[in-house]
Amino acid sequence: MARRRQTASDRLFQRSMIVLFVLIFAGFGAGAYGLVDVVLVNGREYTDKAKVNQLRDTEMAAQRGTIYDINGAALAQSATASKVYINPSTLNKALNKEEIIQAMCDELAPILGITPEKIRRQAGYVNNNFMALQGQVDSAAMVQVDAFRKKKLDIVEKSKDLKKADENGNVTIRSTYGHFVGVQPDIIRFYPLGNLCSNVLGFTGADDIGRAGLELFYNKTLTGVPGRIVSARNAADANLDIEFESIYDPLPGHSLVLTIDEVVQRFLERALEQARIDAKAKAVYGIVMDVKTGAILGMACAPDYSPADYQEIADPALKAQIASIKNEEERTKAYNTAMMAQWRNGTLELTYEPGSVFKTITFSACLEEGVVNQNTHYTCGGGIQIANRYMRCHKRTGHGNQSLAEGLMNSCNPFTISIGQQLGVDRFYKYFEGFGFTEPTGIDLPGEYSPRKGVNIHAQENMRQVELASCSFGQSFEASPIQIITAVSAIANGGKLMRPYIVDRELDELGRVVKQARPVVRRQVISENTARQIRAMMEQVVVAGTGKNGYVAGAHVAGKTGTSQKLSAPGGGYVASFCAFAPADNPEISLLIAIDDPQGMINGGQIAAPPAAQIMENVLLHKNIEMRYTEKEQAELGGRAPDMSRKAVTEAKALLEKESYRVMVIGEGDSVLHQIPEPGQSIAKGGLVILYTDGSGANRMVTVPKLTGMTIAQASREASDAGLNIKLTGNFDSTGLVTHRQSIAPGAQVQLGETVTVHFVSNIGVVDSTAGGGED
Amino acid sequence: MPRDETLQWGSRQSRAPQKIPLAHRLFAYGGFDFPFMLIVTVLMCAGLVMMFSASYVNALKHEGDAYYYIKRQGVFALLGVVAMLSISKINLNVLRKLAIPALLVAFLLLVVVLFYHTIFYDFKRWLPIGSRTNPILTVQPSEVAKMALVLFFAYAMERFQRPNHAIARDAVGARRFFLRWWSTGLYMFVLLAMVVLIALENHVSGMLITGAIGALMIFIGEQRIPLWLYAAGIGAAVLAVMFVFKNPEILGENAAARIISFQNPMSDPLGDDWQTYQSLLAVGSGGWFGRGFGNSIQKHLYLPEPQNDFVFAIVCEEIGFLGAACILLLFVALVWRGFMIALHTKEKFGCLLVIGIVLQVGLQTALNIGVVTAVLPNTGIPLPFFSYGGTALLMLMAEMGIVLAVSRVSREIKR
Repeated sequence: MARRRQTASDRLFQRSMIVLFVLIFAGFGAGAYGLVDVVLVNGREYTDKAKVNQLRDTEMAAQRGTIYDINGAALAQSATASKVYINPSTLNKALNKEEIIQAMCDELAPILGITPEKIRRQAGYVNNNFMALQGQVDSAAMVQVDAFRKKKLDIVEKSKDLKKADENGNVTIRSTYGHFVGVQPDIIRFYPLGNLCSNVLGFTGADDIGRAGLELFYNKTLTGVPGRIVSARNAADANLDIEFESIYDPLPGHSLVLTIDEVVQRFLERALEQARIDAKAKAVYGIVMDVKTGAILGMACAPDYSPADYQEIADPALKAQIASIKNEEERTKAYNTAMMAQWRNGTLELTYEPGSVFKTITFSACLEEGVVNQNTHYTCGGGIQIANRYMRCHKRTGHGNQSLAEGLMNSCNPFTISIGQQLGVDRFYKYFEGFGFTEPTGIDLPGEYSPRKGVNIHAQENMRQVELASCSFGQSFEASPIQIITAVSAIANGGKLMRPYIVDRELDELGRVVKQARPVVRRQVISENTARQIRAMMEQVVVAGTGKNGYVAGAHVAGKTGTSQKLSAPGGGYVASFCAFAPADNPEISLLIAIDDPQGMINGGQIAAPPAAQIMENVLLHKNIEMRYTEKEQAELGGRAPDMSRKAVTEAKALLEKESYRVMVIGEGDSVLHQIPEPGQSIAKGGLVILYTDGSGANRMVTVPKLTGMTIAQASREASDAGLNIKLTGNFDSTGLVTHRQSIAPGAQVQLGETVTVHFVSNIGVVDSTAGGGED
Repeated sequence: MPRDETLQWGSRQSRAPQKIPLAHRLFAYGGFDFPFMLIVTVLMCAGLVMMFSASYVNALKHEGDAYYYIKRQGVFALLGVVAMLSISKINLNVLRKLAIPALLVAFLLLVVVLFYHTIFYDFKRWLPIGSRTNPILTVQPSEVAKMALVLFFAYAMERFQRPNHAIARDAVGARRFFLRWWSTGLYMFVLLAMVVLIALENHVSGMLITGAIGALMIFIGEQRIPLWLYAAGIGAAVLAVMFVFKNPEILGENAAARIISFQNPMSDPLGDDWQTYQSLLAVGSGGWFGRGFGNSIQKHLYLPEPQNDFVFAIVCEEIGFLGAACILLLFVALVWRGFMIALHTKEKFGCLLVIGIVLQVGLQTALNIGVVTAVLPNTGIPLPFFSYGGTALLMLMAEMGIVLAVSRVSREIKR
C-alpha cells in the first residue's frame, strides 16, 4: 500500500515536473524570446518607427515678405488666416457619418465657398486624419466656421464598453462638429492697392507659393524658412501632458522694395487703360524707366487683373464672351487661355516687330560707324529697290530731299534702308547685338522673352540685303517692350546699355537692408557723342515730326513713333508704339507705350504718343524734374494769378486788365475778399479772374462745355464764355491741333472760374506707316 | 517517509467516524507559505501600479477621470486580499464538498450564457447581472468553469484513483476495461463538454486555456494514460495548429483575422494588426531601462485599451527590458513555488488543486507575453494581476487563497 502510493506519487511528481519545465522553458521561454527579439535585437527599428508614429512635426508657415514700392507703400502683404480641415478617419468611425457629412455639405460648404463634392471627396480618405477643405479662410468666414464647429452633434459609434452600449452595441456620444472639423493657422496674401501693378507682382497660390510675377521670381526670398514644432502627440493628435516639444521658430521671409513708384504706376495704368479704350485695342503695354540706372519706375499691362482673385477674368467683356460659349469643353479651354493671358506680363513676355522705333538704333549705328553724319542728305522718292524687291515709303509721293534729322523726323523708310545698306550686315548685326536684341535684358522678373535666332530674329549668317533692309526699319524680327525701351534708354544714357531691374533692395524682418541693387552697365554700345546727336534728332521728332503728339511743354521730350504690321500673327493687325525720354539733353525718364491691335487710327504718333505725353508730364512733375519752357510756351501758359485780395475793386480790375486778363466782379463790395484762381495759381494768357467783393455769389456753379475737337482758339473762347479757365497741355506749338481730351467731362457742374485742362494733339504729319492714313 | 500531523485532515480521515470539532472541519491550521504570499503581493502591487499608469490616458480621455480604472481595480484588489486571506483559512474538506456543486453550477452557467448574454458583437461570453444592455456586473461563465474544472478534477482524481485499481484488478473483459477507464473517460467527457460549450460562446482563448489546463491535469493526475499516447496527441495538436495557420478561415472571421495579422505583423499597421503593431512599438522603444515610470507614449491612445490585454507592452515601454524581465521572473517564481507547494502536499486533492490554479496563471502569463511580443497570435488573454478587470482580479486572489490554504497542509513550509 505504501509502495503503491509511493509509485503514484512519484509519477505525479515526475509528470508535474515535466509540465513545470515545459511551462517555464517553452511557455515563458517564448515570451522571453519575444522580449529579447523585440527589445534587444530589433529595438532600434521599433524605436524609430515609434518616433515616426508618435512625433508630430508641424510646420509653421513663415510670414511671407512684403512687397513695397520705392516709397514704402505696401503692394503685397501677408496676414494670418485659417485653414479648415476635416478628420476623415474619426469621421469614418461614426455610424451616422452620412448625416454628419450632409450637414457639412449644407452648412460648411457655403461658408468656405467650396462644393459639397469636395467635402465628400476629402471625407473619402478614411485612413487620413487631416484633409484640408479650404485654406486662406479670412476672419469673417472663421466666425461662421467656429459657430459651426460649436454646434452640438450626437455621434453614434460602435461601443468599446459594453456597459454603455445600447441594444445594437452602439454608443451615442454628445459632441460637437468640432470633433471632425479642425482649424489650423494659415496665411493669406493680399494686395492693398487692388489691381495696381498686378502683372508685375503676380500672385501666390493657395499654398502661399508664388505662381507668377515677382511672387514667383522672388518666391524663395519672400518665403523665408518655415518653423517646426516637433512634439509628442497622442493618437488623437492632441498634445501630451508630458513635456516633449521642440520649437524651431520660423524665419520670416525677406521683404522687397521695388523700384516701382506707386504714383508713376498709377499715372501709367490710368493712361494705358484710357489708351486701350480710345484705340479699341486688344491690349496696351507700358514701361517707365529710370534712364540712368535701368530701374523700372512703372510697368503695366492693360487689361490687368486682381492678384487676390487671379482666377477671375478681369475684363468684363471677355468674361461675358467666355460665359456665352455653349460647349463646356470649349468654354473651359477659353477660360483657361484667358486666365493664362491675363497673368502674363506682356511688357517682357510678349513680342512685336518694333517698327520705326527701331530706326533710332539704325541711325545710331550708322552715325557711330561714320556711315552718315549730320550733313548726310537723302532724297526719298516714295520707295527703294533692294535686290529684287521694291520697298515703299509710307508716304508714296516721297519725302523729297531730307537731312539726317528730317529723315528720322519723317520716319522715312527709304532713307533708313539706304543707310542700313551702306552699314552692311556685319556692322548692323554688331549694333543689333550691342543694343541687346539677341538676348534677354536680364530683368529680375520671370518669363522674359529670350530671342532665338532663326525663329524670332535673323541669324547673322542668314541676313542678306532684303533682310537687312527690313530689319533696319524694325520689321521682320521681334522684340519685347522691355528690350526696346532698354535699347532706346541706352541712347538716352549716353550709349550705356543698362540691365533693367525692378527690385531695389531686400529687407529682413527687422527692416535692415540685406541686399541693395546696383545699376549694372551691360556695355557701352555707342559713344556719348553719337548718343547726344541722336537725342537731339529724336527731340526734333517730337517737336516737329511724327512724335509731335508726345510733346510736353517745357519737358524737352525726345521720342520715336512706331507702327508695325503684325506679319507673324495669324490675325494680322498693327502694333502702334511710342518710345520717348526726357529731358532730351540730360535724360532722366524713358517710357514706352505699345498698343496691340488698335482699331481705327493705328499709327503710334496718333494713338501712342498722346498718352505717353500725359504720363511723361505727370512723371516729370512728380519726380521734380525742372521744366524749361520756351518763350512762346511761357506766353501761352500764362503765369501765376496775382494777389488782389484787400485791394479796391477798381484798382484790382485795372491791374488785371492791364495784364490782359479778363475780370468778372461778383458782389457789391468795395474791396476784393477772395479771388479765383487763387493767388499763385497758374492762369492762361487772357484768362478769367473772378473777384468776389462780398459774401454773395460764392460757389456759383457753371456747366463745363464740350471742348474736344477744337483748335486752341476755339477752346479758349468756349471756355471763357462759360466762365472757365483752360490750361493747355500736349503739343500746342504745331499745326493742325485739335483738343484731344479735357480734364473735366462736358456737362459737369463746377465752380465759376475753375480751370479745365485740355490736351491737344495733331493729326498732321504723325503717320509713319502705310496704313491708316498713309498711302498704299 | 514520515507522516506529519497535517495528514490527519486528509480525505480518508475526514470520513472516519471520529468526532472532530466543527472549527477543525471548517478551518485549516498551521502557517501558510510565506514566499508564495510575498510573490503574490508583489505581483499584485506591481500590477496595480502598472495598470494605473497604462490606463491613465485612456481613463482621462474616455471616462473623464484619470483614476477611473485604478479606483475600481483598487477596490477589487482590497476585496481580493481579504478574500485571499479568508480562503487561505478554509479547510480543504470544505472545498472537496464544493467540487461537484461547483461543476454543476459551471455547466448551468455555460448553457445559460448561450441564450442569455450581453449584446456585444457576436460574443456570448458574458452573463449580465441587471439589464442586458447596461449590466451592473457581468460574470464570465468560462472563468467559473475553469476554476470548477480544476476543483472537480482535483477532487475526482483523488477520489476515484484507488478503488478503480482495486476493483479492476479482479475484473475481466469489458467490465475490466470499464472499471479501469471509466474515470478517465469521465474527465475527458467533462473537459470536452466544457470546451465545446465555451467554443459555442465564440471564445477561442477561453477554450484554449480551459482545454490546456484540463489536458495537463489529466496528464498529471490521471497517470494511467501512457506518455507515448500524449506524444501522439501533441503531434496531432501540432498538425492541427499548422493546418489552422494554413487555413485560418475555418475558425470564423474574428479568430481568422487575428491569425492572419499574426502571420504578417507589419502588413497592415492601420488595420487588423494595429494593436499588435502598436504593442511592438511600445515594447521595442522601451530599451534596456525603459522610458521611466509613467512616461509611456504608446499609451497615449496609440495602443488601444492599454489597461487590458496589452498592459505588458506598457510595462516594457516604461520600465524597459530589465523591468519586464523581473516581472517575468516573478511569474516564474510564482509558478515554481506553486508547484513546490503542490508537490509537497500529501493529499492529492490539494496537490492537483494547486497545480491546476498555478497552471492557469502560468499559461495565461506565457500566452499573454507571447502575444504582446508577437510570438503568438493575438488571442485576447489578460495578464494575471496586471490587466484591468475587477472580478477577474478578485477571482485570481481567491485562487491564490486556495493555494495558500493548501500550503498550510504542505510539507514545504515545515522545513
